[in-house]
Amino acid sequence: MNKSTIHPDETLLTAYSAGSLPLSQALCISAHVEHCPTCQQEIKHLNDLGSELMQQLKPSPGSTDLKAQLLARLDSLDETHEAPTRIDKTISRCLHQFIKNGYQNLAWKRVSPDIHSVELCRDSNGAKVELLRIKPGGAATTHTHLGDEYTVILEGSFSDESGLYQKGDFLLRDASHQHRPVATQDGECICLAVTEGPIQFTGLFSRLLNPLIRRSYA
Amino acid sequence: MGQSKTSSERLASLQGWVQKVAEHRDKAAFAELFDHYVPLIRAYSLAREPAADLVADELAQEVMMRIWLKASSYDPKLANLNTWIFTLARNCRIDYLRRNSRYVSEIDPTEIFENIEDESPGPFQLVHQTRAQDNIRSRLDKLPAAQAEILSKVYLQGKSHQQTSEELKLPLGTVKSRVRLALKKLEVLVTR
Repeated sequence: MNKSTIHPDETLLTAYSAGSLPLSQALCISAHVEHCPTCQQEIKHLNDLGSELMQQLKPSPGSTDLKAQLLARLDSLDETHEAPTRIDKTISRCLHQFIKNGYQNLAWKRVSPDIHSVELCRDSNGAKVELLRIKPGGAATTHTHLGDEYTVILEGSFSDESGLYQKGDFLLRDASHQHRPVATQDGECICLAVTEGPIQFTGLFSRLLNPLIRRSYA
Repeated sequence: MGQSKTSSERLASLQGWVQKVAEHRDKAAFAELFDHYVPLIRAYSLAREPAADLVADELAQEVMMRIWLKASSYDPKLANLNTWIFTLARNCRIDYLRRNSRYVSEIDPTEIFENIEDESPGPFQLVHQTRAQDNIRSRLDKLPAAQAEILSKVYLQGKSHQQTSEELKLPLGTVKSRVRLALKKLEVLVTR
């Protein structure tokens, strides 16, 4: 039971391999897969499947013009091509586009005494992509979601009502979940979080915050 | 059996051409790759947008340019050549859709889909990988039509599971369970 919650399910992996997943979700899959040999293997097989399906298509020949045009461009392609730049291996490859100088230098904002967050970007479907940083032993406010929430643990570990999660683990929480993640004592926890709709705080006092928070998603 | 031999021979000559492009910037070898792959890439594009001939040309051209530039990074030990070309075509499609969508995503897909393969596989993994691919190829033809149709919608037409369920007027759960059944038969799922 616990095992299935730390990997994306086959529906997500298939959509990832087929290229039909919203990019914010694909980002989470990629961050997980980088640390997960099992899912790497499955994605290889899924890509092989895509390849075999493609081979079964009825070929549709291109024009001879297309070929001539392309052959004429090859030399100039080589001239303008840049060599790939060196990369920081401590940070997930797919997150380099947002994190240039390590986690410390991001514009973290205080959400609560225990939590800081930084928004990385928005996807075309409106989903919010952010990093959450929970201090050792720190707890998030109990919350549910109006939409799905995808989380990948990048550093450290946390636990909630359903179990303990460690670096690389992938979690999908939908609107029916109400949970309260707590970082473990041995270090701070950094997560990649993608939320499709605003988070609902369920505590008595923090419910007053909901209208304010929802507005930031408008 | 005889047929699978010719297809592996063809794959070997395609791989040879990629190597010539990588090592010697060989344009004649590139032209051979063009003749083989462009009709398939165009067909892949037309599967999603049936009437869009120019889009198909654009996608094919983009993929062929990437083959030219990335030929030296292709390692036959890590992926079957056809699979490498499929992932290039898929990545180009994702780029194209991102550039042309009404609400542009702020996420650059490049690093999301590239280079997630592990380093260098051992001999055991290589044998396993080849066997897995043979299994997929030979079992794909025997898949029940209802399952094959869904795989084709998802992979070739680029539909989400939700869109597939709407188009086929099937509950989403049915679509998901048919995909799951198909993946089991093809032995795509390693652990579940």
